[in-house]
Amino acid sequence: MNSNQNPPSPNQNKSLVDEALIEGHEYDGIKELDNPLPAWWLFTFLITIIFSFLYWIHYDLTATGPSTSAELEMELSQLQALHSAATSKEPSVDLQSLVKNSKALEVGQGVFAARCAVCHGAKAEGQIGPNLTDRFWIHGKGTPEDILQVVSKGVLEKGMPSWESMLSATEIQSVSVYVFTLKNSNPPNAKAPDGTEIKE
Amino acid sequence: MTQSHSLAEVYDDKIVRSFVLATLFWGLIAFIVGLLAALQLAYWPFNFNLEWLTYGRIRPLHTNAAIFAFAGNAIFAGIYYSTQRLLKTRMFSDLLSSLHFWGWQILIVSAAVTLLLGFSMGKEYAELEWPLDIFITLIWVIFAVNFFGTLSRRKEKHMYVAIWFYIATIITVAVLHIVNSIEIPVSTFKSYPVWSGIQDALVQWWYGHNAVAFFLTTPFLGLMYYFIPKAADRPVYSYRLSIIHFWALVFLYIWAGPHHLLYTALPDWAQTLGMIFSLMLWAPSWGGMINGLLTLRGAWHKVRTEPILKFLVTAVTFYGMSTFEGPLLSIKSVSALAHYTDWIIAHVHGGTLGWNGFLTFGMIYYLVPRLWNTQLHSKKLAEWHFWIGLLGIIIYYISMWAAGITQGLMWRAVDDKGKLVYPDFIETVTRIVPLYWVRALGGALFIAGFLLMIYNIWKTLRKAPQTRKEEIVPQQVPLKTQTHPETSHRKLEGLVTVFTVLVVLAVLAGSIIEIYPTLSLHNYIDPLKRTQPYSPLEIAGRDVYISEGCYVCHSQMIRKLPEDVLRFGPASTIEESFYDHPFQWGSKRTGPDLARVGGKYPALWHYRHMMNPRDLIPQSIMPNYPWLEQKKVDFYVLRKKFSVLKRLGVPYDENTVANADKIAEEQAKTIAAELKNGGAPAGLEDKEIVALIAYLQALGKKGGTP
Repeated sequence: MNSNQNPPSPNQNKSLVDEALIEGHEYDGIKELDNPLPAWWLFTFLITIIFSFLYWIHYDLTATGPSTSAELEMELSQLQALHSAATSKEPSVDLQSLVKNSKALEVGQGVFAARCAVCHGAKAEGQIGPNLTDRFWIHGKGTPEDILQVVSKGVLEKGMPSWESMLSATEIQSVSVYVFTLKNSNPPNAKAPDGTEIKE
Repeated sequence: MTQSHSLAEVYDDKIVRSFVLATLFWGLIAFIVGLLAALQLAYWPFNFNLEWLTYGRIRPLHTNAAIFAFAGNAIFAGIYYSTQRLLKTRMFSDLLSSLHFWGWQILIVSAAVTLLLGFSMGKEYAELEWPLDIFITLIWVIFAVNFFGTLSRRKEKHMYVAIWFYIATIITVAVLHIVNSIEIPVSTFKSYPVWSGIQDALVQWWYGHNAVAFFLTTPFLGLMYYFIPKAADRPVYSYRLSIIHFWALVFLYIWAGPHHLLYTALPDWAQTLGMIFSLMLWAPSWGGMINGLLTLRGAWHKVRTEPILKFLVTAVTFYGMSTFEGPLLSIKSVSALAHYTDWIIAHVHGGTLGWNGFLTFGMIYYLVPRLWNTQLHSKKLAEWHFWIGLLGIIIYYISMWAAGITQGLMWRAVDDKGKLVYPDFIETVTRIVPLYWVRALGGALFIAGFLLMIYNIWKTLRKAPQTRKEEIVPQQVPLKTQTHPETSHRKLEGLVTVFTVLVVLAVLAGSIIEIYPTLSLHNYIDPLKRTQPYSPLEIAGRDVYISEGCYVCHSQMIRKLPEDVLRFGPASTIEESFYDHPFQWGSKRTGPDLARVGGKYPALWHYRHMMNPRDLIPQSIMPNYPWLEQKKVDFYVLRKKFSVLKRLGVPYDENTVANADKIAEEQAKTIAAELKNGGAPAGLEDKEIVALIAYLQALGKKGGTP
């Protein structure tokens, strides 16, 4: 047993009690010392008060600091700049040639199963969303370019979400050409046609 | 009462015993309901497809039970025990004590029943509906009269620091509860708050944060100031520090509420105040911790062998951690990461399990042998309780830190093309589900420790003597020598009324400065961006949303942060929630934000999603809501609802109020027909699901955007 574990000697106790027991302060046996405020504690308190005051002057009183709206706009425009720089570098893709690219169709099929099937059905026969395998189209004429437009921007008033923030450019292109190849696949339980018939 | 007691006045310890037993009973309930909620997040089938047991109703039950039933009864036990002894008098009125006790227990039972039935105000920790709000006020007044009556017949001239904290608690909780609960009834268990939008947000979080401050902090500090010096048999470290940190806490705490609303539509000046006052609270909070821990100087060796001190010391340490973490989380850039995530859940449980829980356990282990004139059955079991409970808290804390920071970082991750790396919200949920299991394990350990305590105390009570020797109140307090003249604060400690008035002024200062400017909301509204109020069916659906507690998992507030805007659309504006009685901004995103969900999906999507979310999002952890296609909408009550809303200032014309039911029925038919065309069952036009879909489709579609 080392000395740390021994109970403090009566002397130590005495010195604690002698520190500054306050006269007359005794409540149900509880006495009070009058130790000074710890310096580091007081310093911390003062620092937070001074910082808070300066912060308030900067962001509120003089408004030399940006408002939350200004900050947001700044950050969004930086992201926008990143986005336009990245998209301008992307080569333009010929969707017609992708239609015969089996790799692209495979990617497109994966995206369709993960994202589109819940509403359009596993075989694109139509459920919550319309049947994508018939000759009837609600938006555009069913060309790969038209489909890509709907997939990217969505048709918000009809409940078709915009996928451009959720999917990469390649994924959108692939799924658009994949959907294009489903035409006349005649899946079972197909939903009734909707939109305008497009004759080839 | 035995013969000898009829001569001398004794302390009323019967009431303390009742509150101690109630604390143990409600603690068990609150913790088990918490564990159920934790399991539901880890594994959704624990919702059991039962409306009464879904997370949206269980979570409010857990928070209300933990705060008001467990902590509440613990506070009352400690206050009734220590106040009588610190003032050397029996409680003012046995009748009031008894009314307080039974009133509070009836309140808790009614709260549990109504919350599970879905009667809710939709305001966190203030979910109880208007009849219960009135009942709370009544019981609190009984408590206050009993407490101040006891003060008036005290034999000690001066009030000890614990009593200061009790005074601050009683006064401020009354103010907070009354202001936050001003509401106009529609029916027996339905009302609308007079506050709306940012006004309601500000009032609610002024209340919410100060429920933490004046229900979970100041009373427990008072208990700490009594039970630590008693259990350690040491003098309090510094009287001066007590004075400074008491007044600083009481004055500063009340301002801190808006730190729950950083980067929201709340005006910037209020956000700034919320942040800086939280920062300034750090040192005053630590003042309490220092006074608690340094009181143990010269008694640390007792901590090794005495479980009571272990619990008390650890509680104060957790208090120190939580009150450091709190100001940290209030810094705007930290809040941007942590808000809406499980980091906040970690923070809260550090405070509740560590500080409130362990302080209560320490106090009960101290009280039980004294109240029942016996020895604790087993010190060793109490030691086991301590270590198992502590391990539980640590596991809980760390798992929720990890979950919160992981999810916060995933939400904000942006790639080099300026796009979100995890645009799919569900990805950020599936990632942290394993941590929900770990958290449930932590909670289970905490409960295991608590069960040991219950067993230990049950054994203790069984061997307690049948006839109890009650402690006699001294006839008179020995005169104290005082050679120095009294300082002005010392004089104040002898003047209850002046002291109480000063506390009132201290808490009202910040309250008025923050709330008053938002009373006239119109200053903040752009008249060109006025929103359209909700249609009758949408209001019916909104009430379903509130009743099911959707707000506990879904926010309706897109913050002014790029990651929020990229994911959910333009930042929410003040105007958009202008007519929202109550506001539904939420405080946690277990699921995605819904502020702009309107029109994002077709009605049929919502129908199928509510019946089984996994049909559309296979990894979803949301419960099924099959009863929404069974339960009927009460169309007729909409007239009453609309006349109340009109009185509250929502601009409905007379025709809409008078025909609210018919207008709603028309809109319901349209939606039901659309659903039926898509393959949903017929006959949904009078069911809650249709109203809820109408409301969801209206979110973000009422104007008020830039």
